[in-house]
Amino acid sequence: MTRWTIAGVMALVSILAGCQSQPKQYSLRGQVMAKDEAASELTVKHDDIPGFMAAMTMPYKVKDPQAMKDVQPGDAITAEVISANSGREYWLQSVRITSQEGRKNAKPAIRHALSIGDQTPEIPLTNQDGKQIRFSDFKGKSVLITFIYTRCPMPAFCPRLSSQFARIHEDLAKAARDYDKTHLLTISFDAKYDTPPVLRRYGLAYLDNHAEGFSHWDFACADPADMQRIADAFGLEYFEEDKQISHTMNIVLLTPEGRVARYWSNDWSTAELEGALRQQAESPVYHGRPKG
Amino acid sequence: MNGPWRSAAIACCLVAGCGLDGCDSRQHGEELFELHCADCHEMSNPDLKKQPPKLEGLFQAKGLPSGAPATDEQVRKTIIEGLGTMPAFQGRLSQGDVDDLIRYLHTLK
Repeated sequence: MTRWTIAGVMALVSILAGCQSQPKQYSLRGQVMAKDEAASELTVKHDDIPGFMAAMTMPYKVKDPQAMKDVQPGDAITAEVISANSGREYWLQSVRITSQEGRKNAKPAIRHALSIGDQTPEIPLTNQDGKQIRFSDFKGKSVLITFIYTRCPMPAFCPRLSSQFARIHEDLAKAARDYDKTHLLTISFDAKYDTPPVLRRYGLAYLDNHAEGFSHWDFACADPADMQRIADAFGLEYFEEDKQISHTMNIVLLTPEGRVARYWSNDWSTAELEGALRQQAESPVYHGRPKG
Repeated sequence: MNGPWRSAAIACCLVAGCGLDGCDSRQHGEELFELHCADCHEMSNPDLKKQPPKLEGLFQAKGLPSGAPATDEQVRKTIIEGLGTMPAFQGRLSQGDVDDLIRYLHTLK
């Protein structure tokens, strides 16, 4: 068998393997914008990854502890993106630092301005009906908050968050007691496009056109200055680049008193979110050290 | 490109079923499809509330999955404005991008 025949057979094997949903591998080149050691996660601003992702900034898991230790915000890196389970899981491997020049200009690590137990500030929001709402409107209910923009095309990002919230909403609607003691809040950071009518249309799609669901799940936006205050309060980062918005994924749970009970910014499941929301409605549980 | 090379290139494109611009445009459409559409329409995403429809044969069907007529204009409207849980691509794809994308969608049988 010639070298080319072997190469051909190998290529065919690779193609067939690809058809069986084997993990796929893509080359990434980019710059590390943030590092979350606790979550083993790097936020990377990367070039186009043909076949996987357009150029953008997004968080990636890193399974190699040594790589997490070595890489610092600002570093230029190359890595392989491993995409498994039809793209639902992905992580970086073979991370290599190609330049450390950017370290001196790197931004500090993302931190939540509000600590566990802190009271949420009174920041005005406008909901899908054009009505002004505030976090204190939900006093007496546990509240699960997330942040999206309706034009997000990445199924693992905003559509996933909204789909998970929709499932939680549907489950809670089956138990009147839990439904009445909880609330969902989706906040858009794209006020330019996500006006109340757009948010209403988006919300209805996730509520199966049942508008009465808005009494339990608000879709809101804020003016840019207020949105920045909200982002600062909950550790959300977002910025527009290449005609789309790069952003972190953040979920926040509030106690019925309006205090921060818990944050999620990486691993979570719908069941975990729903369980925490129900539990919070019964009795405040702080996941972290509450402030006195 | 001139002389025999240009003729050869045109011949290759004609064999492939499109003109010089058409080849580029369809390839661009395919790239846009892979970047913006395939993740939802070609992959199974159990996390999503609604599974987006496959787009093979989109223009051969009597109507779009929404029930609307399968016309370029209707597909263009859906891409730009979004529909249901499908996000709008307004502001992110140029008119030329949408043209190329639609051209590519026509080739999906």
